[in-house]
Amino acid sequence: MEKIKVNFKVNGKDFRIEVSPNKRLLDVLRDLGFMGVKEGCGVGECGACTVLMNGKKVNSCMVLIGQAEGAEILTVEGLEGEDGQLHPLQEAFIEAGAVQCGFCTPGMIMSSLELLNENLNPTESEIREAISGNLCRCTGYKQIIDAVKLAAKKMRERQ
Amino acid sequence: MQEFNFIKAKNLTDACNLLTELGSKAKIIAGGTDLIIELRQEKLSEEVETIIDISCLDELKYIREEDGFVKIGAGTTHAEIVRSELIQENAPVLAEAAGSVGSPQIRNRGTVGGNIITASPCADTVPVLLALDAVAVLKKGDKTREVSLEELLAGPYKVNLADDELLTEIYFKKLPGGAKGYFYKLARRKAVAKSRMSITAIAVQDSDKKILDIRLTPGAVTPVPIRFKEVEEMLSGQKADAELIKKAGEMVADQMVNITGYRWSTDYKKPVINSLTVRALNSVLEVE
Repeated sequence: MEKIKVNFKVNGKDFRIEVSPNKRLLDVLRDLGFMGVKEGCGVGECGACTVLMNGKKVNSCMVLIGQAEGAEILTVEGLEGEDGQLHPLQEAFIEAGAVQCGFCTPGMIMSSLELLNENLNPTESEIREAISGNLCRCTGYKQIIDAVKLAAKKMRERQ
Repeated sequence: MQEFNFIKAKNLTDACNLLTELGSKAKIIAGGTDLIIELRQEKLSEEVETIIDISCLDELKYIREEDGFVKIGAGTTHAEIVRSELIQENAPVLAEAAGSVGSPQIRNRGTVGGNIITASPCADTVPVLLALDAVAVLKKGDKTREVSLEELLAGPYKVNLADDELLTEIYFKKLPGGAKGYFYKLARRKAVAKSRMSITAIAVQDSDKKILDIRLTPGAVTPVPIRFKEVEEMLSGQKADAELIKKAGEMVADQMVNITGYRWSTDYKKPVINSLTVRALNSVLEVE
């Protein structure tokens, strides 16, 4: 197995790495210190490892690192402003009590972000659809849906 | 995870040349939503030394209309199919099926070509593509051949595709005006679910309610999805009424049992596939 060179961006910063090709994007992101990316099921069902890849949400356990060549990846760590200001989605998750054990939270936030990037007036069914690939084992879905609605409102107001 | 060398194809020609050179020692990866699970379980044949990535090839990502045909590049994702205006206009039933695959994350990666080549009995887009009489375009080196999707599917998780061949496109004839389609997926939950059973129906009727064209594909109930042609023939040319639809539902259920034999699940599946067929036909047909 020959190592491969991969160039990609994470949260706006360039990375050039040399890595075994049987690593997943998930493995590499965590090795680089982006611990907000969680491994739950490892088979593309739970959504805990969700990141945006070129603006689209993907399960980072379902992407071989070589497939991320040239890609722009956004993880939950990339949402915080330079001054440490939380993203409206992060604020809303706290205010709506949408974080229980927290393991699904980064994935839930990234899935919701793809939705809000395109639609700041989502209906409840659009929110449910957006997070349909993310499991919360604390089953606090109601608060999560409330949080996404609240985040949409905050983002509309800040426009 | 299994060990392998990884090559990102530079373009379609490069991917085909690599396949010609490596043959059975290579495996193609597109969306990877099935293959990566196999790699993690170390289930891929040990013969495979190299994974060739085609997920990066824009040449395989398109949906276009040409001479009355709708053509879809094999690398088109399920999400792209759902969002395509051309598909929404000409084959909304395909968008329906593509939109029912996995989760939004899976639909952003998984491709229509991958859904076909994986050839899972419970693939969601395959029964609809069969109902659309889809044709697959296969490339080997610089040669191209076309086969019907029906011929391409060889069995559960098996396709009639040479080691050095690549599926590049799937296309189907535009449906005539007035054609109606229906897809329903029965699963254990609403999202991230595998089909327990699905039903696809497409129908065209004349103004007297006579059935001019009918296509019926139950999904996930046979080793590979197939059109139930005897039922289609029984319906074809008839005026649609409740009696006819009832008969079709019973025929589909009986044929399913003929194909799969009597199993532990048959007591459940037989009445349900009957009902799903009746529901589908009532949706696509104007009844007397």
